Amino acid sequence: METTRPLLEIRGLHKRFGAVEVLKGVDLALRKGEVVSIIGSSGSGKTTLLRCVNLLEEFQSGDIVLDGETIGYSTKNGRRHRLSDRELSRQRSMTGMVFQSFNLFPHLTAAGNVMLGLRKVRRMGKAEARALAERWLGRVGLAARADHYPSQLSGGQQQRVAIARALAMDPKLVLLDEVTSALDPELVQEVLNTVKAIADDGATLLIVTHEMRFARDVSDRVVFMDQGQVVEDAPPAEIFVNPRSARLAEFLRNTRT
Amino acid sequence: MQPFLNQIWIARWPLWEGFLLTIEVASAAILFGTVLGCICGIQLVYGPAIVRFPFRVYVDVMRGTPVLVLILAAFYIPSVAGVSLSATQAGVLALSLFAGAHIGELMRGALQAIPPGQAEAARSIGLTFPQTLAYVLLPQALRSALPPWINTGVELIKGSSLLSIIGVGELLLRTQEVIGRTFMTIEFYVFAGALYLLANIFLDQLGKAVERRVQGR
Amino acid sequence: MGYSLQFGAVWASFGNLLSGLALGLGLAVAAVACGTVIGLVAAFASVSSSRIARVLVGGYVMLIRNLPLLVLVLLVYFALPQLGIRFDKYESFIGALALYAGAYLTEVFRAGLVAVPKGVVEASRAIGLTRVQTNVWVVAPIMMRNALPSMGNTFIGMFKDSSIAAAIAVPELTFQARKINVDTFRVVETWIVASGLYIATCFAIAALLRRLERLFPKF
Repeated sequence: METTRPLLEIRGLHKRFGAVEVLKGVDLALRKGEVVSIIGSSGSGKTTLLRCVNLLEEFQSGDIVLDGETIGYSTKNGRRHRLSDRELSRQRSMTGMVFQSFNLFPHLTAAGNVMLGLRKVRRMGKAEARALAERWLGRVGLAARADHYPSQLSGGQQQRVAIARALAMDPKLVLLDEVTSALDPELVQEVLNTVKAIADDGATLLIVTHEMRFARDVSDRVVFMDQGQVVEDAPPAEIFVNPRSARLAEFLRNTRT
Repeated sequence: MQPFLNQIWIARWPLWEGFLLTIEVASAAILFGTVLGCICGIQLVYGPAIVRFPFRVYVDVMRGTPVLVLILAAFYIPSVAGVSLSATQAGVLALSLFAGAHIGELMRGALQAIPPGQAEAARSIGLTFPQTLAYVLLPQALRSALPPWINTGVELIKGSSLLSIIGVGELLLRTQEVIGRTFMTIEFYVFAGALYLLANIFLDQLGKAVERRVQGR
Repeated sequence: MGYSLQFGAVWASFGNLLSGLALGLGLAVAAVACGTVIGLVAAFASVSSSRIARVLVGGYVMLIRNLPLLVLVLLVYFALPQLGIRFDKYESFIGALALYAGAYLTEVFRAGLVAVPKGVVEASRAIGLTRVQTNVWVVAPIMMRNALPSMGNTFIGMFKDSSIAAAIAVPELTFQARKINVDTFRVVETWIVASGLYIATCFAIAALLRRLERLFPKF
């Protein structure tokens, strides 16, 4: 089997918030089509890591390489510069993100939410964008709600629209940040089903989650982070059944569902 | 520049008296307005319906009417009622009624914002209602009402400029008289504007200083 | 005393009062329209990273809010001609009132901008929209909708302030009322009717606004 270059490579990522170092040298790689879940307690840096990949946060050292392109920063004459807003925006459109609190645009319908990026970033015409939006909303089971406003949708439905919104941009990688944590328990399953469906379709996903059973079910690999570092990185069978480190063992004990 | 400064010097007394009158009128209005407004606010929150109604009408009428209309009405009406008011007195009357309604509304809001537990606690230690009002409710209400009250003061200083229309010799009228003599229109309007600005900014700073002192406890 | 209320003289000129009222509303609409544009630009400038922009906007707001409107109107109408800029009565008043409305609306919009949830802005950036696109297509619409009640109140305030146009002989409601007062000496009736018209109009606008707010609730 040929070894293909990883789609996402994170090398030696360091990030500080003021005086506090939150990411202390993170290395992580994802191949195309892989689904990787990141688990760990709050404060472990997993959400921050995701936000760095998405360029919503700056980082002090290390590289993030997406499909061969180093994103976020360029080095000119040996000095490191944050890229311009336009460059960053272009790079951001290559990754999709689904947030814990959905963050749908309240003034736009479900279709409008999905179409905004298509029209303004991908510069599609109205009809084309609308057709695509309807397709993706159908994919997440909400074709009938295309013209509803977020305030008219349940939490689970809103999150599925958010997933459609991210996917419609045809990103190389989708980042999911605790996408079910803000949902009522009975709405969690519909979202997890949707995520599994897009994973099965071959999407490349980097998921931060508390849902251990789901992580085990859907992931090719699970990464355990603690205090800003990757402690273990292995297929679910090894992580959940044979934790190698004491920290992971203790974490699993405390979160056993 | 020199001729302008010269003219200011020549007109210094009328301008100064005009400025003083502006401050006096605004001060009188805020004084009467606060007394009226406190009574109004208390009645609007705690008074019986039969008392609340006229106060409600008063507040709504004042708030729906432009200040200039109040001033003109106060200027023209008293004479047919057999009351003789000077232009200045009419102006103070109008501004006081205006301030009273605004302060009444903000006192109402301030009193209603006090958690009900406060009055309950006061009553349960045996305070009568007037005591509760005086020692527990009003102190808290006045503290939160301070910034909008200062704002009303600023509005009164600005409103006093409208008294020039009925011939009261406050700052704006005196400025217009100087302009009439010297034709230095832009210079003197800017000068008057600057004085209003200074007065209002000073008032604002005063308010912030008092607020800091009051929060300090 | 012997003053008996006779509304006849006032009713005879009621048409003038109504046209004055309409003019006042028109002045307010024009001023708030221009003021909204000023306010939007200034509000975005006040949260930008440019220190100069923030200082300029702060100065503008402080200046206008502490200046009597009448002084501003007189400056525009009488003083600007000295610099060669000549506006007629209507332009002068609308210009001055627009500057006035703009200052109040800047504060309204700025508060609205700050209140837009950070997560929604991030979602917009995450899709790849630039800062400018995010501001135009996501932030501004949300902010404007949330700012509707305050904008409505500002409009009512500007309508009342349109009475000041009487000082430069613009024939709006207060000017017409004063004319009737001076012509007929029916002082009590005139001012009762005039203030009644103002109050009724303000109430009507406020009721309309409440309806609008129910149709377009805040996000």
